[in-house]
Amino acid sequence: MRWATRAGVHIDRAACAWLIRRFIDAQAQFVYVDEPGQVLDDATPFAMPGVDLSHHTGPDGDTDCSFETILRRHHLDDPLLWRIAQIVHEADLDDERFDAPEARGMDVVLRGLSMTRTDPEVIDLTGPIFDGLYEYHRRAALLGHEPA
Amino acid sequence: MLLSYRVPREPSGPRIAVWRKLKRLGVAQLSDGLVGLPADARTREHLEWVAQEVRDAGGQAGVWLAEPTDAAQQRRLAADLSAARAGEYTAVRAEAEQARTLPTVQRRRAGQRLRAELGRIARRDFFPPPHRELAQAAVRALLDTGAVDPQEVPR
Repeated sequence: MRWATRAGVHIDRAACAWLIRRFIDAQAQFVYVDEPGQVLDDATPFAMPGVDLSHHTGPDGDTDCSFETILRRHHLDDPLLWRIAQIVHEADLDDERFDAPEARGMDVVLRGLSMTRTDPEVIDLTGPIFDGLYEYHRRAALLGHEPA
Repeated sequence: MLLSYRVPREPSGPRIAVWRKLKRLGVAQLSDGLVGLPADARTREHLEWVAQEVRDAGGQAGVWLAEPTDAAQQRRLAADLSAARAGEYTAVRAEAEQARTLPTVQRRRAGQRLRAELGRIARRDFFPPPHRELAQAAVRALLDTGAVDPQEVPR
C-alpha cells in the first residue's frame, strides 16, 4: 500500500512511518508531498493538516499527535506502543501532558537528522531506533525495572 | 510567518486551547486574530497545526508567508518578541535570587524547576535578549550552591 505524508520528516512522521511498517503494513511505500491536495487517490495520507490520521484536539483541549491518532484508528492497544506514543507526543507537542524525559533527546536527534539526510533516509535510519525503544520498554515492563 | 485566525466565542474550550498553544509557541500578537513568528520549517508546521485546530473548532484560519514593506516593522516585531522573552527571563532571575536563602534541599529543587522553565522559554526565544544569560547565571548559582551539606549525609 502507498502512504503519503508531508515532506520534512520530524519525530511524529518518522514514528508514524515506523508504526505503519512494523504494525500495519509491512510493504508500506511512502511518498512525500507538500500539501494534502497532492496526495494520489491510492495513497493513505497521514501526519499532515487536514487529513484524518493527524493531530486531533478533543473537547477537553488535549491534542493527540498523529502517532496517537493512528494507534486509536487501528485499535493498537499495546501498552508499549502507548509508552512510545508518550515520547513522540512530548517531542512533537511539548505540552507536558506526559512525563517522557526521552522526548527532548529524540527531538534534537530528529531535528539534526532532518538537516543532514533526506526524508526517506530519515525514515530508514530511525526505524531501528524505534525498534530499540520498543525493545527497551518491553524488557523494562517484563523486569519491572530499567533493563541493562 | 503569520497566522490569521478567528475561533468562535463559544464554547470557550477550543479558544483557550488555541490561546495556550500560541502562548507556548511565543508568538508576537500583531493585532486581534493575527500572530506572527519568524519563518522556518518548524514554526510553519506548528502554525499550520494550530490553523487546522481552529478550522476543526468551526473557526477560520490561514497561514501566510508575509513580508513587511519596510525594515522598521520587521525590527519592531523582533524587538517585541525579544522584550517578551526578556520579561520571562527577568521573572526567572528574580525567583532564583529569592530562592538563594532557602535551605539546601529546597534551593536545589527551586534550581531544577527554574532550569526547566528556562528551557521552555529558550524553545520559544528567537531573538535572545541579554537577560537570558543573567537568568541562566542566577539559576546556575542556585544549583552550584545547592551542594550537599555534610551535616545532612548520614554517617
